[in-house]
Amino acid sequence: MTATLAKENVIGRPIDRIDGRRKVAGAAPYPSDFDLPGQVHAALISSTVAAGRITRIDRSRAEAAPGVLTVLTHDNAPALVDPPQNALGSTMRRPLRDDRILHYGQHIGIVVANTRAEALAAAKLVEIEYAEEDPVLDLDDPRAAVEDNPFGMASSRGDVPAALAAADVTVDGTYTIGAEANSPMGLFTTVASWQGGRLVVHDTTQAPSFLRIALSVMFEVPEENVRVLIPFLGGGFGAGLRLWSHTVLTTLAARVLDRPVKLVLSRPQMFHSVGHRAASRQRVQLGADRDGRLTALDHDAIAANGMGDNLPSPIVAVTPATYACANVATHERRAHLNIPYTGFMRAPGAVEAHFAIESALDELADQTGVDPVELRLRNYAEVHPESGKPWSSKALRECLEVGAQRFGWAGRDPAPRSTHDGDQLVGQGMAGASFEFYALPCTVRLAVDRRGNATVRTAGTDIGTGTYTITAQITAELLGIDVENVRVVIGDTDQPPAPQSGGSGLAGALAAAIQNAAGELAEQLARLDGRPGESFASLLDRHGLDELAVTGYSDLAGAATHSDVAPAGAFAAAYAEVGVDEELGVVRVRRLVSVIDGGRVFNAKTARSQAIGGAVMGIGMALLEELAYDPNSGRVANGTFGDYLVPVNLDVPDLDITFVGEPDTFNPTGGKGLGEIGIVSIAPAIANAVHHATGRRIRDLPITLDKML
Amino acid sequence: MSSATTARSTQVTVELRVNGRTYPVRLDSTTTLLDALRDDLHLTGTKKGCDQGACGACTVLRDGKRIVSCLTLAAQCDGSEITTIEGISEDGHPHPLQEAFVRHDALQCGYCTTGQVMSAVALLREGRAGSDDEIREFMSGNLCRCAAYPNIVAAIREVAES
Repeated sequence: MTATLAKENVIGRPIDRIDGRRKVAGAAPYPSDFDLPGQVHAALISSTVAAGRITRIDRSRAEAAPGVLTVLTHDNAPALVDPPQNALGSTMRRPLRDDRILHYGQHIGIVVANTRAEALAAAKLVEIEYAEEDPVLDLDDPRAAVEDNPFGMASSRGDVPAALAAADVTVDGTYTIGAEANSPMGLFTTVASWQGGRLVVHDTTQAPSFLRIALSVMFEVPEENVRVLIPFLGGGFGAGLRLWSHTVLTTLAARVLDRPVKLVLSRPQMFHSVGHRAASRQRVQLGADRDGRLTALDHDAIAANGMGDNLPSPIVAVTPATYACANVATHERRAHLNIPYTGFMRAPGAVEAHFAIESALDELADQTGVDPVELRLRNYAEVHPESGKPWSSKALRECLEVGAQRFGWAGRDPAPRSTHDGDQLVGQGMAGASFEFYALPCTVRLAVDRRGNATVRTAGTDIGTGTYTITAQITAELLGIDVENVRVVIGDTDQPPAPQSGGSGLAGALAAAIQNAAGELAEQLARLDGRPGESFASLLDRHGLDELAVTGYSDLAGAATHSDVAPAGAFAAAYAEVGVDEELGVVRVRRLVSVIDGGRVFNAKTARSQAIGGAVMGIGMALLEELAYDPNSGRVANGTFGDYLVPVNLDVPDLDITFVGEPDTFNPTGGKGLGEIGIVSIAPAIANAVHHATGRRIRDLPITLDKML
Repeated sequence: MSSATTARSTQVTVELRVNGRTYPVRLDSTTTLLDALRDDLHLTGTKKGCDQGACGACTVLRDGKRIVSCLTLAAQCDGSEITTIEGISEDGHPHPLQEAFVRHDALQCGYCTTGQVMSAVALLREGRAGSDDEIREFMSGNLCRCAAYPNIVAAIREVAES
């Protein structure tokens, strides 16, 4: 970039999100708010058993019901092509492929009628008989097919068995985490419309570019004839990262009828149609010397996976990079169950791994008598433990130290059960967190005009993290204009392709692509013979140009392969204080300190909101959330907001959020993704605080009161 | 509406008075106020989050009191004064709570936000914004999965104190 264009201190400023006014006015259109001329309505037919085959389908009563236009099931629907793999691993088994039932709630048909009420009523009239089989629902079920190392994430350095045998102190713990539902507030919706040979889909997706490719393949139309629109999402937390069957079925129905079709999932359907955090079990073995210095770390993880599904569950991916330890081995397995498809949920893998590792470290601190914070500093990975390269940025030490100071950790009596407050036992716990660097290629189109305005266009979307706003800020700073003069056009695959909003990968990749575009723009402007300090508006005007547009591109992961630094993700530390009612077993978080190294923060206000969101979802994970399956039918037994408990306002204590660290030296804009790191250390900090309060080590999330009695 | 079988449905005519305007509508007697607002009146600022009265996304005011419009039949609202998010600005200016929500970043994805704002409008009238804990308790019927909760409390507190 040339210095003449840069406008200082726009990036990072805590400006109000630029889409905020539309959202508080109810004027931001979510997929369910779109209605198209001639639109008709769909309802899904869902399996009422978890395993088996469909032996008979009778559509006749439904087809004869008022207003019904079509009923599609596996035996009468046009065949589709299988969806392709993408950068997130597998997509799903295509719907209506055959008569097999793999999980309760599987979408086995779709009814379309003139009104939503007619479609819902008719869906109940489809008669289905099953040859039911006994479902496999539990990780421990010996019938479950278990795959070893399906994605090659197992790793080994040094000699773990020898190091464990020789260790002064060992910890061996098994940690389980219940399945969790992402539960975004927005009901996932598809409005599909075929316009000539062109497909236009409003769909609740975090990955519009991937969805475009998938629909193009499945419906055999060129990619440029598929347009996915998602300007506002209604939350995702990973639920919108996969291709889901309701999207495919709605698109199929629209093609069959040649009319726009709208489908809005119900809340109960959300619990079995858009993925969840897989139930998991981990065993962590630590070996250490008497001073708490790690000599061995063995991490074995098994996670649930849908039957016939192929989704990576990257629990052990982060483990080798967390701490300096010469001997580290990781093992990854997955068990195929008759459960609704799993998916990605905030910090997938990393948050599960940290619950196990950071709990085990607390147990090691207990055994060695080394303070938990000091223990983590003694095992601090000053360089990347695998590659030996220096980190592109790492302020985990500062996270730990600043957090300890803000929390008042120094005054803590390490003895469990040492603090009371009325009838409550009070405990304090902490945990660290490391997140993996992640990026995919990103393309933007950047245009400036003679009125002094800029427009940034990319297919990626804003799931509530603040993508609209930081895009405007980064562009404004690089071009030397005000944020108000930047227009952001996103959530539309007619714009250049972008990564999904997920994996904390979009902000960094997008920022780098905008910077690349701004550099290209500066070069083009320089060729126009600009005068010192002249604005681009004046320059364009002088040359009679209405607009100048360039394309920017970033491929950070590609650049990482030949970098002499180890590209870092975000780091964090959390400190929690809990109160435990010993008679009732109720655990409440009294206060929480979260310190995050996210590199250069693009917007201090929206970044803080991300940290808050992660912390609160972490409270839910630690204390409230677990999907329950009926052991006989495989039905999700708590699939409503009355039964599946997410944190409410009163569950959230005073939160103390701080950002530390320096701009990252690998990402050209200095930023690291922030969406996920905020949850990673919360559940172990709370579990460790529960141990400090009560002397009881709960290795099974969520920590509900039945586990405390 | 979800369990309505059209064959047994009964059409009714209702005068819905929403945001000071009167809308004569003919709809199925089982139609919820939420669906009537969104589908018949095209006031889509009110959101459907669960359709079971458990999330608060569809909160509107009925005669000044907050209700979940998904558990209220439209036919029950004949003669009532309904206020939705589209009806709380004054002379084209956003309501002070809308301004405060933006300033405090009391929203992320924004889907629950209109319900939060409507609930907060009622909360102030109820006199339930006396302390942060009181705000937390009396806003706990409005779920926010993005968890803007601390910022929602800050926004409401600021307006309550002004």
